[in-house]
Amino acid sequence: MRIDYKLEDKFDFGLFIPVMLLITIGLVAIYSSTFNHPVASGNFQKQLIWAIAALFVFFITFSLPTNVFRYAASPLYLFSLVLLIAVLVMGRKVSGAQSWFDLGPIGFQPSEIAKIGTILALASFLSRRNANIDSFLDIIGALAIGFLPVFLILLEPDMGTALVFMGMILTLIFWKGISLFSLFVVLSPGFVAIASLFGYFYFIVAMILVIVVLFLFKKDIFFSGSIFALNLGAGFFADYVYSILSPHQQKRIQSFIDPMADPLGSGYNAIQSKVAIGSGGLFGKGFMQGNQTQLQFIPEQWTDFIYCVIGEEFGFAGSIIVLGLFLFLFVRLLKIASAAKDEFLSLVLIGILSVYFIHFLINIGMTIGILPVIGIPLPFVSYGGSSLLVNFFMLGIAANIYRTRKNYA
Amino acid sequence: MSDTGFASQTRRRILYFIFIGTFALLGFRLFQMQILQQESYDEKSADNSIKAIEQIPLRGVFYDRNMEVVVSNIPAYTLRITPADYDRKLNRILETVLDVDSGYIDKILYNNRIYSKYVPVRIKRGIDFKVVSWLEENSEYLHGVDYVVEMQRGYPAGVTGSHMFGYTKEISPQQLKEENDYYKPGDYVGHNGIEKTYEKFLRGIKGYNYILVDSKRKEIGKYKDGLEDVASVKGNDLVLSIDADVQRVAEKEFEGKSGAVVAIEPKTGEIISLVSAPEYDLSQFAYVTSKDFLNQLYSDPKKPLFNRATMSVKPPGSTFKLLAAIAALDMGIITEETTIFCGGGFTYGRFFKCHGGAHGSINVVRAIEKSCNTFFYNLIYRIGLDKWKEYAEKFGFNSKTGIDIGEEVAGLIPGSDYYEKIYGEKWPRSIMASLGIGQGEVSVTPLQLAQYTALIANNGKTFTPHIVKGYLDNNTREFIPFNFKEVKVNINQKAFNIVKEGMYKVVQGEGTATRIRFKEFDIAGKTGTAQNPHGKDHAVFVCFAPFDDPKIAIAVVVENVGFGGTWAAPIAQKMIEAYLLKDKIKKEEQVIPRLKERIIGAVIEN
Repeated sequence: MRIDYKLEDKFDFGLFIPVMLLITIGLVAIYSSTFNHPVASGNFQKQLIWAIAALFVFFITFSLPTNVFRYAASPLYLFSLVLLIAVLVMGRKVSGAQSWFDLGPIGFQPSEIAKIGTILALASFLSRRNANIDSFLDIIGALAIGFLPVFLILLEPDMGTALVFMGMILTLIFWKGISLFSLFVVLSPGFVAIASLFGYFYFIVAMILVIVVLFLFKKDIFFSGSIFALNLGAGFFADYVYSILSPHQQKRIQSFIDPMADPLGSGYNAIQSKVAIGSGGLFGKGFMQGNQTQLQFIPEQWTDFIYCVIGEEFGFAGSIIVLGLFLFLFVRLLKIASAAKDEFLSLVLIGILSVYFIHFLINIGMTIGILPVIGIPLPFVSYGGSSLLVNFFMLGIAANIYRTRKNYA
Repeated sequence: MSDTGFASQTRRRILYFIFIGTFALLGFRLFQMQILQQESYDEKSADNSIKAIEQIPLRGVFYDRNMEVVVSNIPAYTLRITPADYDRKLNRILETVLDVDSGYIDKILYNNRIYSKYVPVRIKRGIDFKVVSWLEENSEYLHGVDYVVEMQRGYPAGVTGSHMFGYTKEISPQQLKEENDYYKPGDYVGHNGIEKTYEKFLRGIKGYNYILVDSKRKEIGKYKDGLEDVASVKGNDLVLSIDADVQRVAEKEFEGKSGAVVAIEPKTGEIISLVSAPEYDLSQFAYVTSKDFLNQLYSDPKKPLFNRATMSVKPPGSTFKLLAAIAALDMGIITEETTIFCGGGFTYGRFFKCHGGAHGSINVVRAIEKSCNTFFYNLIYRIGLDKWKEYAEKFGFNSKTGIDIGEEVAGLIPGSDYYEKIYGEKWPRSIMASLGIGQGEVSVTPLQLAQYTALIANNGKTFTPHIVKGYLDNNTREFIPFNFKEVKVNINQKAFNIVKEGMYKVVQGEGTATRIRFKEFDIAGKTGTAQNPHGKDHAVFVCFAPFDDPKIAIAVVVENVGFGGTWAAPIAQKMIEAYLLKDKIKKEEQVIPRLKERIIGAVIEN
């Protein structure tokens, strides 16, 4: 039987159009911030070429048989782990983190590929026929798959990407249906770990909260005791991790707590980026007219601080449009994920969504001063070839799942 | 599948909630920053990238009372270094060329290290033209070194006026703290004299040129093509009451001497001339002053930095006899006819000698003319110490005159309370005797003496002595006078007439200064000799002229020379000549250059 379908049935313009608008805005902002720059003035052309290449990747991924992703999960995951180990041995250091591979003229970060590998592997693990996310073994299994790359990425050390992974893992097990108590067991160590970074006082307060929650859940004493011990361990572990963090990352955490403590050093970006956005006003200073941007007050603005360019030159209006496009994209992805009847594909979509979302939240949060300066790019907008390719690859998977959604209905 | 299981409605709603919540949070934060706090961020952004370059206005110049420029602005060269482009290897050669100590450049650069490396630092102001041409010749090797033309003070009239004019100096940290609304580090402010008192008139209003700088503070270009620039406003030109001719004469007369002279126009309190000798060269202070020069000034035993006209206190000598005479006449203790017998001295506890032998029975006019000590020894006991002090204070002694330069002292007029403090209740009354002739503890400044003379000349009326009459409006060039307080002494007019007659006789009669007469007009004066326990006496002379219509009152003090009539009076004479016979002198001066011109012209023609 021949089904008569419209193009919209196969191709989701709701995904494609906001992303195309975002990449256009990104190109405009890159153009503005690099035009007068002595060394980065070619970045607009480079990004344009990358964008075209990324579109090819998108359409290829879009056209693949959907099952490819299912079969590729384990090999891609293992390949990612190999790359993450290899980069520790022979990678290139960029701003304190050994996270880049050079392939001739182009560089790429294995952690980008590992994002896809981990999403696929974790989705695959969680969508096993008899998987029960509230069972102890399955939680341990899921966390092990997820945290293996996190551990390797922390060794680089690349805090920002590790955070993205952690958020993604959390979203996946949440989507899978984890119970409130299990979620507490998974989350509380992280909470305690962060609290311990603020000092012993906050650490003790966090531990007291843990005891209160454990008491409310009324689980047996031995189990509660183990969880308490786990939290205690997490607090001390965080202290240890902080101590082995590279100085520039320690400074960034400190400068978030008090940016004015070192206004010309680690707090400089946070302050200048807020000044850029804040001074934009309602409609901005105009294309190529922002003094913060044009006079290069924010280093390498075309990468992680691209949102400042938009905020300064296109004002509140431009900034809100970008937020709106992302919101539209997230809602759209969530809708497709909800509609997908196959658990694996639904989890993959949620994984992709969470990666986009966490990048979006951390990146914009840091530029407007509500989160510490953690260097991760804004998807589709920031300059950078390998992240653009991976983001479009993931978008291709999403579009692919949309295309074949009826097959599983 | 339960409602909390895989991809459940609840879980979807939680994610929706997170997305909307994040959007709301970020959106609100953007609204707060970009709409509510936009101004404050905009200001910070402007601070970042728009730099205001101060335009220091031209300082007001000084005119004398005949509108001759006595203090002007002249261009001077300032050497600068831009640290970003500069190689410290050049230090040695530059320090040699500039003739400064080694380490000089490093020290200045270190003091300016908080500013951007792209902002030029002033290294030395007022550099030689020779150095400038050396810089030009070697500019290709001297990266980061340049010079700019800045204005410094010039003194074109040949008037030194060091203690009057004062000098400007880099602002002190203390003053910078107090007046940080206008001044910036490195600004020059009036440090003393007129430059200090009238700083607010002289300094003008700073202008600003706005330029765009990048994150390294490197200049990119003009901000808005200079449309927002604010032009500086030149300082107000001051009109001084000084007469440059008189001042030049007085300064010349004091060459090689120590002392001071103040000449006042009695009717107005305008200071026609003020000299404190030795002077110092103000042009050395025009910008950076060399350490050697300062050390030399500080260690000079003659204390050239000390303003003797307003700050040196000495007994006035016989010039104070006028005061005792006025007091006695005004109180009615004596009249014109009252005579006192001088047998060559006076006894009160001990013997006080008169000079010039015995004067016999003399009245007050004769006593002034002859400067008889016996007469005035007697008089002070009749007046009484505290009454005498009261009269002295009426004439402005024992307090500052309020002259418009800051450096001034009050001097001392002792009263009974003063002696009680030193000697107790039963202080020896014999001490009083010498006060009658202006010796002993009484000490006054030359400026006070000049004001006292002006008050006598103008029958008890004058104005607070001042050097600056007013200023010129920058646009209209209209003269705008300052107002000064009237100084008034209520004394019987007859007393003035009698004392002035005595002063007249001092010069025009058979007195102690008969050598300084002019045929054109009469002079009235009084000589004095201030006893000096440390060496030769100080010569004092006060006078006014013309006698009928006083236009100038002068007080001269010459240190360590002897008798006033011999040493001080001729200086006053020259000054009176320069002031009152100006036209005659000018004519004579013009004849000589014209002759010279003719001779030179003849040589050229040949």
